[in-house]
Amino acid sequence: MTMGEPGLGRHRTRWRHARRPAGFALTGVAAFLLATAPGEAAGDRALAEYLAAECTGCHQLSGRGSGGIPPIIGWPEEQFVAALDAYGRKQRDNPTMQTIAARLSRDEMTALAAYFGALVAKP
Amino acid sequence: MKPTRRDWMAGTSAVLAAGTLAAPAVLGQAKPRVVVVGGGPGGATAAKYLAKDSAGAIAVTLVEENETYQTCFHSNLFIGGFKRYEEIVHRYDALASTHGIALVRSRATQIDRDRKEVVLSDGRRLPYDRLVLSPGIDLNYDSVPGWSKEAEEAMPHGWKPGRQTQLIREKLDAVPDGGTIVMIAPPNPYRCPPGPYERASMFAHVLQQSGRNKARIVILDPKESFSKQGVFMPDWEKRYSAMIEWLGPKVHDGITSVDPRTGTVVTGFETYENCAFVNVIPAQMAGAIARDAGLAPAGGYCAIDPATMKSVVDGDIVVLGDACNAGDMPKSAFSANNQAKVAAMVLRGELVGAQTFPARYLNTCWSLVDTDDAIKVGGRYEPKDGRIAAVETFISQPGESAEIRRQTQAENIAWYDAICADMFT
Repeated sequence: MTMGEPGLGRHRTRWRHARRPAGFALTGVAAFLLATAPGEAAGDRALAEYLAAECTGCHQLSGRGSGGIPPIIGWPEEQFVAALDAYGRKQRDNPTMQTIAARLSRDEMTALAAYFGALVAKP
Repeated sequence: MKPTRRDWMAGTSAVLAAGTLAAPAVLGQAKPRVVVVGGGPGGATAAKYLAKDSAGAIAVTLVEENETYQTCFHSNLFIGGFKRYEEIVHRYDALASTHGIALVRSRATQIDRDRKEVVLSDGRRLPYDRLVLSPGIDLNYDSVPGWSKEAEEAMPHGWKPGRQTQLIREKLDAVPDGGTIVMIAPPNPYRCPPGPYERASMFAHVLQQSGRNKARIVILDPKESFSKQGVFMPDWEKRYSAMIEWLGPKVHDGITSVDPRTGTVVTGFETYENCAFVNVIPAQMAGAIARDAGLAPAGGYCAIDPATMKSVVDGDIVVLGDACNAGDMPKSAFSANNQAKVAAMVLRGELVGAQTFPARYLNTCWSLVDTDDAIKVGGRYEPKDGRIAAVETFISQPGESAEIRRQTQAENIAWYDAICADMFT
């Protein structure tokens, strides 16, 4: 059983779009604004923040961690969603994550993927 | 207190995000004020998320009498020799420096609900628009005959942090080989359901590690069963053979009395004399400040609205963590931290027009049984029929592989670092 996505180092930064300006890495706001209408983007952002707050009890926003719980920042969004989806289908082990993923809709997984995907590891 | 600075710019991003015009922040009036009482996983988390997610549009004050916070969670790991004491102590400075929270180091003694003010022990009064109460528990010193506040040095509880935590370790270290430890476990509902049994595991671990293999631990429980019992007990057998003995009420027939002077525990079944160490974990209730404010009309813990964490008695007050009745959610640090985020969202919605979402809750409790051998229990919860109800739960299984138990402990360690970062940075 593996806890983290293979090949992802703790401090590796992943960029969702090559065109996205580097300066917006710390929040997902600009990414949303580029892609969607303001009201919709803000709503997604607010939802992502709310859902993400549940994650940060275990997954540090800084990307730091002792190894027992993997960092979830800076992942490519497709992989992030796929991981959560796999937990939801009980294809990945870990009863805690299975329970959490079971109550996330696809839209919610996508919102979380964008939110965390935009974060950069802090030294 | 102070907030007359007219800074509606700070509220603008929150306002634009919500797409509505929120009252005080936009009209240039003083910022809405939230006072948070209690700097534990409920209070510290609530203060941080209120400040952080409102981008400074809410004036947040955190009242906490202790300069540092020693976590009760993982205090058992300190007792078991797996963590140094310094590793479970944390500072509040970053909440002020990073999030602009006003830290008031004082004891809050009373809530004046009519005037909407928190009264401090030095007489200062802090006005609030909304109050977050996260005062933790108080111990019922009358719940074990013969035990009292005066007896808590001779027979410590170790159920509140600081001196008591260290006293438990001191008493453990002084147990001679062949000595008896009696633990009196608490009745439901209480802080940290698996805690007493993790602690007994830590006692056994330390005794075994130090070669005191003839010492024994007797747990006298007022409960018919306990959290993760089906997983703890086979593991005790495997790790510690017969060192830990658990007796339910039908066997011991009730605690008749304890004598702190002689270290005696009398039950309906047996008398334990000259105990090397008696750990009394008494019945518990919400912290006095919450009960005195009339927020726990039924006596024990504060009734809350499961969708908002607000007191059912007073809509301007949120009660978090161990002090509230959270339905199926256990009294745990994880729960308090989780509830705090729901409450922060609700209050931001009311005060600065932030967008809100239906409450959902989560908990996981990890317990260390022996080196690289931890077990967990948890679930997700939602408001249902007027209470917070479990939707789905999970629990470690007896007979799991050593690798799973090792991984569970690695999770436990990582969770602690994450929740402390979440609370204090």
